[in-house]
Amino acid sequence: MGREGGALLDSRLIDDLRRVVGDRWVVCERDSVVDYLLDETPDVVRPQPSSDIVVVKPHSAEEVSEILKVANERRVPVYPVGGRTGLVGGSIPTEPGIIVSMERFKRIEIDEENLMATVGAGVTLGELIEAAERAGLFFPLHPGDEGAFVGGLVATNAGGARAVKYGVMRNYVKGVEVVVPTGEILRLGGRLLKNNTGYNLMHLIIGSEGTLGIITEVTLKLYPRMKHSVTLIAPFSSRRDAIRAVPKILRSGANPLAIEYVELEEILKSAEHLNERWPVEEGFSQLIIILTEVSEDSLYAQAEEIEHLCKESGSGDLVVAEAREEQDRVLRIRSNLYTTLKPDVCDILDIVVPPSMLAELIDIIEELGAEYGAKLPVYGHAGDGNLHAHIMKVNGHAPEYFEELKRKIYEATVKLGGAISGEHGIGETRIKDLKLALSSKEIELMREIKRAFDPNNILNPGKVVGRA
Amino acid sequence: MVKQVPDIERVRFDLETGRLDRSSAEGVTNPFDLNALEVGVQIKERLGGRITAISMGPPKAESTLRDCLARGADRAILLTDRRFAGADTLATSYTLACAIRELGRFDLIVCGEKTLDGDTAQVGPEVAELLGVPHVSYVEEVVAFTHEGITVKSDIGRFHYIYELRYPCLITVTKNVNIPRLPTLRDKILARKARVEVWDAERLSRVAEPDRFGLKGSPTTVVKVFSPLSSGRRGVILEGDAEELADRLLNVLREVGALKMERGNVD
Repeated sequence: MGREGGALLDSRLIDDLRRVVGDRWVVCERDSVVDYLLDETPDVVRPQPSSDIVVVKPHSAEEVSEILKVANERRVPVYPVGGRTGLVGGSIPTEPGIIVSMERFKRIEIDEENLMATVGAGVTLGELIEAAERAGLFFPLHPGDEGAFVGGLVATNAGGARAVKYGVMRNYVKGVEVVVPTGEILRLGGRLLKNNTGYNLMHLIIGSEGTLGIITEVTLKLYPRMKHSVTLIAPFSSRRDAIRAVPKILRSGANPLAIEYVELEEILKSAEHLNERWPVEEGFSQLIIILTEVSEDSLYAQAEEIEHLCKESGSGDLVVAEAREEQDRVLRIRSNLYTTLKPDVCDILDIVVPPSMLAELIDIIEELGAEYGAKLPVYGHAGDGNLHAHIMKVNGHAPEYFEELKRKIYEATVKLGGAISGEHGIGETRIKDLKLALSSKEIELMREIKRAFDPNNILNPGKVVGRA
Repeated sequence: MVKQVPDIERVRFDLETGRLDRSSAEGVTNPFDLNALEVGVQIKERLGGRITAISMGPPKAESTLRDCLARGADRAILLTDRRFAGADTLATSYTLACAIRELGRFDLIVCGEKTLDGDTAQVGPEVAELLGVPHVSYVEEVVAFTHEGITVKSDIGRFHYIYELRYPCLITVTKNVNIPRLPTLRDKILARKARVEVWDAERLSRVAEPDRFGLKGSPTTVVKVFSPLSSGRRGVILEGDAEELADRLLNVLREVGALKMERGNVD
């Protein structure tokens, strides 16, 4: 097996796991295990994964239950892993233990009557979007990487672009099948649009980042596929002008699927990285606005109103992508922004403020950048007040001011009524910053909840609420 | 010349009959035709001139012509008539060529190399032949253009050719020739209200023989649509005297379907 230490993972444990899932689905070889150890967290802040890891690949909630019972009895840490697209080290196994990969949970059932999809935790975002589309329906949310697993999207309450009109993952989840660390299988919620039966444990599971239970299956709300859709791009000469247009658009009654904020320099690099061309090469800042409507007339009436509001805030001519291929290209280049920056990024922040405060937040970030002589590329989900600010490496390394600058950005965000994470979560990399945003009572309650679910602290230990 | 095609990612394809169910997906502008229009717009930006977009198709193809108007065409003509329906590439080319003749003098016709639904790449060159003008297919780069002519680079697989053509002429372009720009919202909104001229068979009566339109003018018969199975190389060593070998070789070739002796076979 080639393990160092190997104190926890003795051969009896491996045998037990093999009995649960079968020999084929227990992976001990280092070359194969290594693929499961990391996610998309930037290397500067990424926690060091343990090398003493076994990967198991169950395919039913019952198997997950048996694995957790074995682990709970032996007090072995368990790390649920999905598409490994997280950015805060939430799925990185930091202690010797068992990785539970959800890749075999591939069931997809589309309920056209109720406009819902019941899907296994291992279904990817791309597969979900495609399955909904095949049924003539629509899953609007697009948190970025289409390789992300649905289980992970729910566990992290993912957001991303296209969350303005229908909300974030939490707004889609109607039911969750989850296995708690002591092995019981809970089926929370269902294909219901109303449900007030006791405390809502389902919503506690959503966003719990794999610390309260392993999600095996989810039921998600779908929407009818809107026949008409356009993506608009509005160029502005300054950050402030672009951001100023956002509340006006939201107030106008137009109901965009997404309002994204990007800066020309970064979006051009992203396009170049994909060997594509970005369609608007003017301005400093740009808004990308996606509209979907039942009729073409109402779509263009909204587009015209948005054009008027953008121009009032100083934008140049808006361009429009209408063909699906052209809209997909715009979204693909937008989604590739982080991939292009990643090699030089110390950390990607996903701070969030009330949308009306976004311009102020950007100003503060600009000032902090000037104070430290640091380039801080920003883009984000302007319609949600959710901003990605990046602290960059200097000469390939984290600059001395990295932690201090990050703390100042977080403090400014909280002061504006914001939160330190709008969508990526706390994972491992932000535990130390949690106290900037939450009171000690809140953190204490969260730890109590963790203890109630996981008395032996075996599931994703140390994540979100730390090692109390 | 442009065509509305079904959105290829969404359209249903009947594997049994080999037919597209065109009602299963919205119509979009054939993507190669957007490259063709972009060539026209770039020439217009430098040398001036007017761009006319022409399409033959059902009335709903009007939206494709509006798309062309938004992207820089000055005039849009839709050839639509029941008598044009059921056309193969020859009858389609004939109808389009008649319309171009009816329009009068032109310098350059630009088409996409092929359409996503038909995939024949025949209509462009056939129109040029019917109009008696020189033509180059698979243009991947417009090297230069003046008021007198155009220099293009054509990609025919293993070789690239540079051609200098004098107007009037026709080129068909590949996706590599440019990246079509997106229209401004303003132009898109104006195009939604602009006039698309609709021409029927009568409108072409001065220049056309009606029997050459549509199904009547289409000699092509589709016997079967299928995807040929790809097979790797196979070696057979035959030994014996020449006479006998020739017969055996013929048999081998027939067996693998490399030779067919039936008449009227459509390949």
